[in-house]
Amino acid sequence: MQDRSSNLPFAIGIPALLWQILFFYVPLLLMVGTTLVTFAEDGSFTGLTLQNIGRFVTPVYGRVILSSILLGLSNTTLCLLIGYPLAYFLAFTGKRFKNFFLFLLIVPFWTNFLLHVYAWFFVLERNGVVNTALIHLGLIETPIHFLNSIFAIMVMMVYYYLPFMVLPIYSSLERFDKRLIEASLDLGATSLETFRKIVLPLTRRGIVGGFFLVYIPSFAEFAIPELMGGDKLMFVGNAISHYVLGEGTGSLGASFTVISCAILLLTSGFLYWLLEKLLTPKQRCDA
Amino acid sequence: MGNEDISDCPINKRPINIVFQNYALFPHLNVFENIAYSLKLKKLPKILIQQKVLKILEAFHLENHIYKLPSQLSGGQQQRVALARAIVGEPDLLLLDEPLAALDFKLREKVLLELIELQEKLKITFVYVTHDQFEALTVADQMAIMNHEGTIEQIGRPKEIYEFPVSSFVAKFVGTTNILPGRLCNLDEAPEIEIADLGHFKVDISQKKTWMSEGCEMVMSIRPEKIFITKKITKNFSNHLIGHVHSIVYHGRSTQYNIVLKNGMRLQVFEQNEEHFPQEVIDYDNEVHLYWQKENAVLLER
Repeated sequence: MQDRSSNLPFAIGIPALLWQILFFYVPLLLMVGTTLVTFAEDGSFTGLTLQNIGRFVTPVYGRVILSSILLGLSNTTLCLLIGYPLAYFLAFTGKRFKNFFLFLLIVPFWTNFLLHVYAWFFVLERNGVVNTALIHLGLIETPIHFLNSIFAIMVMMVYYYLPFMVLPIYSSLERFDKRLIEASLDLGATSLETFRKIVLPLTRRGIVGGFFLVYIPSFAEFAIPELMGGDKLMFVGNAISHYVLGEGTGSLGASFTVISCAILLLTSGFLYWLLEKLLTPKQRCDA
Repeated sequence: MGNEDISDCPINKRPINIVFQNYALFPHLNVFENIAYSLKLKKLPKILIQQKVLKILEAFHLENHIYKLPSQLSGGQQQRVALARAIVGEPDLLLLDEPLAALDFKLREKVLLELIELQEKLKITFVYVTHDQFEALTVADQMAIMNHEGTIEQIGRPKEIYEFPVSSFVAKFVGTTNILPGRLCNLDEAPEIEIADLGHFKVDISQKKTWMSEGCEMVMSIRPEKIFITKKITKNFSNHLIGHVHSIVYHGRSTQYNIVLKNGMRLQVFEQNEEHFPQEVIDYDNEVHLYWQKENAVLLER
């Protein structure tokens, strides 16, 4: 009896596991395979190669990868800077309106992604809401060209990814014992010191969670740059979709995907280390 | 505080530290860091911080737990860390908010005595907030009794508060008491309280209050231990009542009798269990005589 019940959680997991293996790990392996392995005409294994990867070691692709890292980083940083105060407000001052505010935060998810994009077109276009308002206020004379720019991409990115940052931080702040703030102030800390030494470290899990929930997909984001940025800027996601959808360039797409994944893993690892270092207080051991 | 008004002083500048009811230890910092928190904020030199923290750790018998996180400590240890953290910065005043509420009964008594000892050693004023009257009577030099509206009803030494409460709230709140409503009469000769359906009882008004007047409504408070209970008629007491034993609660060192009087009112009486084999055994439904001296009853405004 005992054995059976202890195997149950595993048994429940089997369908999900199969799904994961079949549709994630197998394709991933295939992709890595086509990138690193060469085949003869008849499909037999002939050896390993770095040629497919070497093809992408050029300044052009370097720039693509770098701009993706920057896109991911700047979006994540902006989301964190806007999202943390928002989560703080929700958790500490929201009180009985808390659930209502959370609801407002989630509502945009109910509409289709493309509708969001079109909505932003209306806001940002030449005769859009923002330009009209600025002209009426007399701040500008001719409409500003917002669309097809880095600015438009960032606005849409932050708009779309903000909830992914707010929710994990909110849940860690929600669990945070507010009396610790009182205790810290009582012991002579200023509000800023309290925030730095007590609140930030204790909401570390939420920050790190939100950080990667935003960083990873925004590194590979291709729809938003494509729609909001015109074709001026090339990011990893755009390059991959270009190859995969292109005629006969599927294997190039696979190779570039493998490279991007590696870069994403490396940068994520570094960022994780950095965040932990910044947010974990030093525990004195020399006493 | 002292002679200074600190109401407008921000909380982090006040020379007061608080021991919180739930301790509010920082869960991500070890014992050392928790205690050193206020010292580090003052930017004291490292060596000095270390000396101070180690000294207090030793005084609180925590030297084996320096690197433990609060979650790895027992309740009593957490309580000591909270206390150490609050006094390491040498505040002028220490505010303790129900510091023993989270401890079990045996430990509570032990820590309470430690607190008293500590207070005498440190010579810091402790303000000790509690709803446990036993704790309050034990630790306090001065007590203030606050009612539900937050106004202070009486300030005084524990003995004054217990023996001479100024209001029925204080009398009922601190310890147990019997409250008997009645009417003051015969003020000029031998003052008495007239209690409906029970008769007249002698009272002592040597400390005459301004509200006392002939025929005014009032209450009399008698502590249960001030009443002598017996089955025999006895002399030398100023007041006498007859009742029936309704229930008996045995407390070990004393026995509590709940008595029903002939007008239906109930009285509590404590009797010290002085002997192994008491000469008279009082049992359920026995008729008993209750005696008390008029000086031992407190008269209070209705």
